[in-house]
Amino acid sequence: MAVPANYSYPKTRARRVKEVAFRLATLVALVLVVGPALWILLGVVVDAVPHWKWSVLTTLSQGTSGGLENALIGTLVLMAGVLLLAGSIGILTGIHLAELARPRRNGKSGGTVLRTAAEVLSGFPSIVLGYVGYVALCVGLHWGFSLLPALLILSLMVVPYIAKSTESALRQVPTNYREGAEALGMSTGYALRKVVLKTALPGIVTGVLIALSIAGGETAPLLYTAGATNGLPTFSLVHHPIAYLTYYVWTDYNQPSNAAHYISYDAALILLVLVLLLLIASRITVARTQRYSESRGR
Amino acid sequence: MSWKIRVRHPLAVLALAGAMAVAGSVTVAGAAKVKIPKSGVETPPSASLTETGSTLLYPLWNIWAPAYQQKYSQVSLTTAGTGSGTGIADAISGTVDIGSSDAYLSPTQAQATPTLLNIPLAISVQVIAYNIPGVTAHLKLSGKVISEIYQGKITNWNDPAITALNPGVTIPSLPIVALHRSDGSGDTFIFTQYLSDQDPSGWGTKISYGTTVAFPAFSGALGENGNGGMVSGCKATVGCIAYVGISYLSELLGDGQTYAQLKNAAGNYELPTQTAVAAESAGFVKKTPANETLSMVDGPAKAGYPIINYEYAIVNSHQSSASTAKAIRSVLEWAINAKDGNSAQYLSQVSFQPLPNPIVAKSLAQIKKIS
Amino acid sequence: MTTVGGSGGLGAATPPSSSVPTRRATAARRVGDVLHHNEEHVWRWSARTASVIPLAGLAFVLTILAIKAWPAVKVNGLSFLTSSKWQPGSTYGATVHTHGVAHPLGASYGAWPLIAGTLQTSVIAVLLALPISLGAAFALTERLPRWVSQPVGFAVEILAGIPSVVIGLWGVLVLGPILARDVYPIVANNMPDVPVLSYFRGPAGHGEGLLTSGIVLGLMIVPIIASTTRDLFLQVPPLPKEGAEALGMTDAEVARRVTIPWVRAGIIGATVLGLGRALGETIAVAMVSGSVLGTVSPNIYGTMTTIAATIVSQLDSAATDGTGFAVATLAEAGLILAVISVAVNVGARMIVDRTSRLAAPVGRA
Repeated sequence: MAVPANYSYPKTRARRVKEVAFRLATLVALVLVVGPALWILLGVVVDAVPHWKWSVLTTLSQGTSGGLENALIGTLVLMAGVLLLAGSIGILTGIHLAELARPRRNGKSGGTVLRTAAEVLSGFPSIVLGYVGYVALCVGLHWGFSLLPALLILSLMVVPYIAKSTESALRQVPTNYREGAEALGMSTGYALRKVVLKTALPGIVTGVLIALSIAGGETAPLLYTAGATNGLPTFSLVHHPIAYLTYYVWTDYNQPSNAAHYISYDAALILLVLVLLLLIASRITVARTQRYSESRGR
Repeated sequence: MSWKIRVRHPLAVLALAGAMAVAGSVTVAGAAKVKIPKSGVETPPSASLTETGSTLLYPLWNIWAPAYQQKYSQVSLTTAGTGSGTGIADAISGTVDIGSSDAYLSPTQAQATPTLLNIPLAISVQVIAYNIPGVTAHLKLSGKVISEIYQGKITNWNDPAITALNPGVTIPSLPIVALHRSDGSGDTFIFTQYLSDQDPSGWGTKISYGTTVAFPAFSGALGENGNGGMVSGCKATVGCIAYVGISYLSELLGDGQTYAQLKNAAGNYELPTQTAVAAESAGFVKKTPANETLSMVDGPAKAGYPIINYEYAIVNSHQSSASTAKAIRSVLEWAINAKDGNSAQYLSQVSFQPLPNPIVAKSLAQIKKIS
Repeated sequence: MTTVGGSGGLGAATPPSSSVPTRRATAARRVGDVLHHNEEHVWRWSARTASVIPLAGLAFVLTILAIKAWPAVKVNGLSFLTSSKWQPGSTYGATVHTHGVAHPLGASYGAWPLIAGTLQTSVIAVLLALPISLGAAFALTERLPRWVSQPVGFAVEILAGIPSVVIGLWGVLVLGPILARDVYPIVANNMPDVPVLSYFRGPAGHGEGLLTSGIVLGLMIVPIIASTTRDLFLQVPPLPKEGAEALGMTDAEVARRVTIPWVRAGIIGATVLGLGRALGETIAVAMVSGSVLGTVSPNIYGTMTTIAATIVSQLDSAATDGTGFAVATLAEAGLILAVISVAVNVGARMIVDRTSRLAAPVGRA
């Protein structure tokens, strides 16, 4: 049976058709994912840009008019707080699950209950978390609408993401790094600090940045814990409400005045810009650290 | 030496004791007594206040707050529009200093927290809007007809019940879409009060009134979020009928919709003009009790527009600190003062009406209790 | 000759024998060893404490929810799950007591429309998202041209990052009206009156309703399913795939007969994970669902509501119920949602974990 030297396609038409259909299906998926994503971005830009004034970033909000300075700073403050609180808890949790938990007898890694609890938390309805925060912290502990209840609830929501990416980043550190460290006499903690964490850093950073963008984009839990205010964030953890961007998107799109609509679109635009910046930052981090990493090209 | 002090002049001692007692009580009372200066507004100490509540009052607070803070910059007043229910709940729990509500406190709430005051700040009006292409006249609608529309019994705009009330108007055949508030609100409260009053055997017994009610679900029923949602929903839905707060009137009219003349308790059909509203509220002045808990829907005034209500500030009369109390009093006094908050320059922006003078006095009496 | 290493050396390497360690060096090494030993303790202790926090937080949330919901559970009983009446009662009227719980006269709550709406939107979302996510995952892992895989990857990450309130805004202002004007009427008018498809007939509505919510939700869960599936595909060892290709199978056949069966349970797990996310989504659904209580939508375009959307839109008005019964009922609905969400997520994790092996280098399973 003579086969041409450049034979690369299947013999029967049916298989050729199926192959083409498969390619087409992936193209359709491309369109259906990229299309709406672009549509949403463009929709927000088209709505917000015509009425955009740079003064929005430097004026305080006045209810349904004014600017978004306090909201932007408030969102950034919330993100910073989440970075500190959820970042530390999440990374330590990931370290525990990846390195330090006692393995189970069947050879699998330990910490299953803790890991499952974290996963469950990541899929938990956000409004329920907000309600519990309101009832237990704002009213129950008399903290009122303020920064601390908002931080606690937000951190509870994003710790699972950071823990998961930390754990998977740590697991991908090659064993020979660890074995070499042990051979040199390093304790586990020392090896963690000097060798393993540094290698796993891109994955950890990616997880943290994802968590930050989730925290910045949440609305429901913040509605009931952070309240709203027209002033800049203060340094007090309790009794002072804090403004945040998603509040204005949620509240002002429904107000009848055009000024309120513009505020809503502007807030959406600023949020998108923040998310894009975080996305680009995580990509740059991964690219930078992979430049010197052994695993490049694997 | 004897330690017994002989009282030579017992009467003098008694008189002295009495005088001291009187002086003491006067001092004590003087410390608690609130002195309102001639301007009608106390000067507040430095304070940071939070307000939240009714979305109907929210646009007005956003106009009042900067004006007040311009005059008294030592007070920082934060406003938010989360809804009447949250306003009341937060005022009760102390999470917020001033709660705003379109509805007065329920008997259960008043009983649970006896120190709560509901203080009217302004008078708001509700309109019934509709979107019928080709009909620009103000249709006459009665509470009974609206009640049947919202129960799904009247489903078309040219139903005989509606055309009978409007003999001179040609109404096309158009299915009715009845919009209601899906989030609980004071607008639902006064709307359902009107329906319960005018249709007691139907709406009144079956559904009654409240900030959330079980609106009958039928194919023409649609829920909208917020007053803004009602306006935009009615604009997008041909054949809609919606109840909207009057501060959204300009947006309403801008979209080509119009509003109805409503039947009042006396049987007349009135438009929500300033005179009609003033007439209605005047009819209630004598009825308003000291705690100003009163529904002003469907009043006896012959030429009164039937759906009006007091916009309340819900405040706890027991404040944690005297300076907070004074700041709150100052804000509220400024708001109800006819030359400040209650003047046309602010109220007209949201189409609210000022409080009649006797009501201002009653509100002031309640404000003085905050300490 | 000073003896070395007798004190506290934890596997400390002995330096070359030519250099005799001085007493200072020994002491320094001793201190260093103590520090290292403690460092280990510090790491272990703090990591263990931190990892308990998610579990503790979850338990705390469920406990508070149960406490708050208990009065309503006592009064509403089992009919809460089946009844369709959402009647707050006369909140401005009398207060009565049932089973020792105070509530307004005539209050009677049924959450069936809420539960049905939640399940319906989530199922539609998963049905829409699964094929798209599979296609996107293939686009990201197979040898497709870069002009395909790069944009898809970026788009998936963007979709994951866009705040749900922005997606809801887009759904309400852009997608809903376009669908209602252009798409739904065509579909509704051309559907045959057959038992299943008749659900697609009927008034097309105004863009806010079940199908629109399902589409918006589907868009939101595509990133989760796609990225999990992509990770699963990357773990399929290359040897079987390359072998299949060497045997002459096309890319489609490799995908269908090698890749997918290898991670079939994992895909199911990823889908269930997306389902869990869809169940709990609040804000976007509240904006596009039409928020009508008390009724299950008669057709696929009709307005409805979900548990989460109801909580967010009713919580404020529930606060006007002075007896606290309405708030307790919402807490009960939230508890039901939490229980469903926990069950779904636990199930998903078990399925995914059973199939996927986390990238484990040799020797450390």
